[in-house]
Amino acid sequence: MSGENGDVNSQRSSDGGLHAVITGLGRSLILVGLTGVCPALWAGAAAWFFAATGSAGGTAGFLVGIVGASVVPVARPLAQAARKRLSLWTGETLHASYRHVVPVRRMATGYWWNGHSYQRLRFVALAQRWLRARTRDPVAWLDVIWVVASPVIVGVAAAAPPALVLMGLVGLMGPGLLPVILPVVAVIGLSVLSIILGLALAPLGWRIAAPLMRLLLAGLPLVGSHRLAALLRERADLTQAQDAELQRIARDLHDGAQVRLVAVGLAIGAAERVIDTDPEHSKALLREARDLSRGALSSLRELVHDIVPPVLLERGYIDAIRALALDVPVPTTVRTVLRERLETPIEAAFYFAVAELLSNVIKHADASEISVLVERQGEHVVATVTDDGRGGADKRLGSGLAGVAARVAVFGGSLLVDSPTGGPTRVVVEIPCG
Amino acid sequence: MRIVLAEDVFLLRDGIVRLLESYGHDVVAAVADGPSALAALIDTSPDVAILDIRMPPSHTDEGLRVALQARQLVPGLPVLILSQHVEQLYARELLADGLGGVGYLLKDRVFEAEQFIDAVERVASGGTALDPAVIAKLLTGRGQHPLELLTSRESEVLALMAEGLSNQAIAQRLFLSEGAISKYTTLIFGKLGIEADENANRRVLAVLSFLRSPRG
Repeated sequence: MSGENGDVNSQRSSDGGLHAVITGLGRSLILVGLTGVCPALWAGAAAWFFAATGSAGGTAGFLVGIVGASVVPVARPLAQAARKRLSLWTGETLHASYRHVVPVRRMATGYWWNGHSYQRLRFVALAQRWLRARTRDPVAWLDVIWVVASPVIVGVAAAAPPALVLMGLVGLMGPGLLPVILPVVAVIGLSVLSIILGLALAPLGWRIAAPLMRLLLAGLPLVGSHRLAALLRERADLTQAQDAELQRIARDLHDGAQVRLVAVGLAIGAAERVIDTDPEHSKALLREARDLSRGALSSLRELVHDIVPPVLLERGYIDAIRALALDVPVPTTVRTVLRERLETPIEAAFYFAVAELLSNVIKHADASEISVLVERQGEHVVATVTDDGRGGADKRLGSGLAGVAARVAVFGGSLLVDSPTGGPTRVVVEIPCG
Repeated sequence: MRIVLAEDVFLLRDGIVRLLESYGHDVVAAVADGPSALAALIDTSPDVAILDIRMPPSHTDEGLRVALQARQLVPGLPVLILSQHVEQLYARELLADGLGGVGYLLKDRVFEAEQFIDAVERVASGGTALDPAVIAKLLTGRGQHPLELLTSRESEVLALMAEGLSNQAIAQRLFLSEGAISKYTTLIFGKLGIEADENANRRVLAVLSFLRSPRG
C-alpha cells in the first residue's frame, strides 16, 4: 500500500518531522471536514430556523426532523469515505460487510425481483431494495452511529492540533483582535505555546482518531456475515434458475402436450361428424387422434423426466445415478456401497449435480470412459466423476461447472476440479447430508 | 388365458380388462395396489400378470417389486410390467434371472390393441416383450461396444428380435423375406460372438444377457 509506505518513509527520513507535521495537519483537516460537515449543516439549518421562528421548542423539533431525514442517506457515503481515508493512511483495509445487494431482475411473471420481494414496478423494487439495504443492515446502522458520534469522538481529537495552531496564529497576528485581558507578552507567549503544542500534536491527532474509526467502521465483526452475504447471493441465483426452469416447463407444456391434446379433441370431433356418412374417414381420424395422444404422452414423459427423473422418485439417488449411467452415450461405471436414502432435496441436488457433470463430460471432454464413485466422507456425500477425456475443464469459465458449483453451494456443498490439459479430469462434488 | 391385472387408476384398469376380455381372455383378478396384487398372484396362479409399476401404497416401483417377489416364489411366473417411463435399470432387474416370461412396456402400447395382446400372449408363453424404447436405449447407450460393429439394418433386426418378435414377424415388419432375416441374425450372432439358436426366447435372452454383461 502506497499510503503505508509513504507514512513509514516520512517518519524515517531526515526531514520526517516536518513532513509528519504537515501530513498530520492535512489529515486532521480532512477528518474534521468528513466528520464536521453534517453537524455544521444541521447546526446551520437549526440556526436559520431559530432565526426565522424564534421558537426554541420548534427548532429542537426541526433539528430532530432534519437529522432523522438526512442521516440515513448520507451515512453510507460518509462512512465509506472515512474508510477509504483510513486505508490510504494506514494501509489497513476495513471490510464494510454490507449485505449483498441482489440485482433487480424481471421475472417470467413480469414482476421485478429485488432479492426480497416481487414488485410490479421497477423503480418500486429499486427503492425498496435501497431502503432495505440501509435499514435492515446492521452495518448500515453502524454507519449512522458513525455519522452522529464521530464529530464528538473523532472530530474533536482530529480538530485539536489545527485548532491550537489556528488559535496561536490569530493571537500572534492580531493581539488587538482579542479582548485583551492579559498583557501582550503573555498573549504572544501563549500563542507561541499554542502553535508549538498544535504542531507537536499534529502527527498524533489523526492517529488518536484511528482506533475510534476502526471501532465503528470496521463493520460488525458479525460472525458469518460474509457467509450470510454468500447465502443471499446463492438464494438469488437459485431464484433465477427456478424462474428459468418454470418458464421452460410452461413453454414445453404449451408447445407439446397442450397443442396435441387440442388436436386430439379436434380429430375426435371431426370423426364424430362423419362417422355415419364416411366410416372409413372417421376411422382414419380416430387413428390420428390416437397417434396425437401418444405424442402428447411422450412429450409429457420427457418433461416429467426433466423435472424429477422417475427412478429418483422411485428408488432414490443411487439407482437414479445408475440408471443415468446406463443411458449416457459414453460407457460409464458407477461404484458405491451406499444404500441409505438421504433427505429428498439433498438427493435431488446431488443427483442433478452428478447428471450435469456427466453431461459436461459428454459434451466437452471427448472421453471414452467415465467412472463415478459415490461415497460418504464424514457428514458429506461425495461423488467423484473421472473421465479420460482431453482435460482443461475450468469452473471459472462460466461453464456448466460454475453452475453446478453454484447450485451445490446452496446446500453448503462444494465442487473441486482437477483437470490438467490432456486429461484425465477428476471432478469431486460434495454435499453435507447430516 | 387367466390374467391378473394390477393398476391403480380405475379408468385404465377398466379399459385394459375390457380389452383383454374382448380378445377372449379371462381376468381372474383386477386389483389396485401392490399387496393385493401379490396375494392375487399367489392365490390364483395366473398364466400371466400385468402390473402397473407405480401403485399404492408406496407409489414408487411397487409393481416391479411385486413382480420380482412373485418370481422368487414362483420362478418364471410370467409378468408384464406397464409403466409411464422405461428404464434400462429396471429391464435388467426383470431379466436378471434369465428365465424369460418377462414383459416391460410403456403404458401407451395398450393403444395398439393387437400388438399389446400379442405381447401379453408372448410373455405368457415364456417369451419376452421389451418396449422398443428400452431397446433403443440399450442400442444407443453404449459407446465402444461390439454393437457398434452392426450395420443399421442389423441393429434394426436385433432391436425387433430383442422385442421378442420371431423371424417371421420381423420379416413382416421390415418387408423382407424370412430367409433374409435369418441371414441377418446369423451375421448378428457372429459379430456379437453368440451361438445361433432356433429357439426365439433363448435367442433374445442370449442377446440381452450379452447386453447385461459388463463390457470387456
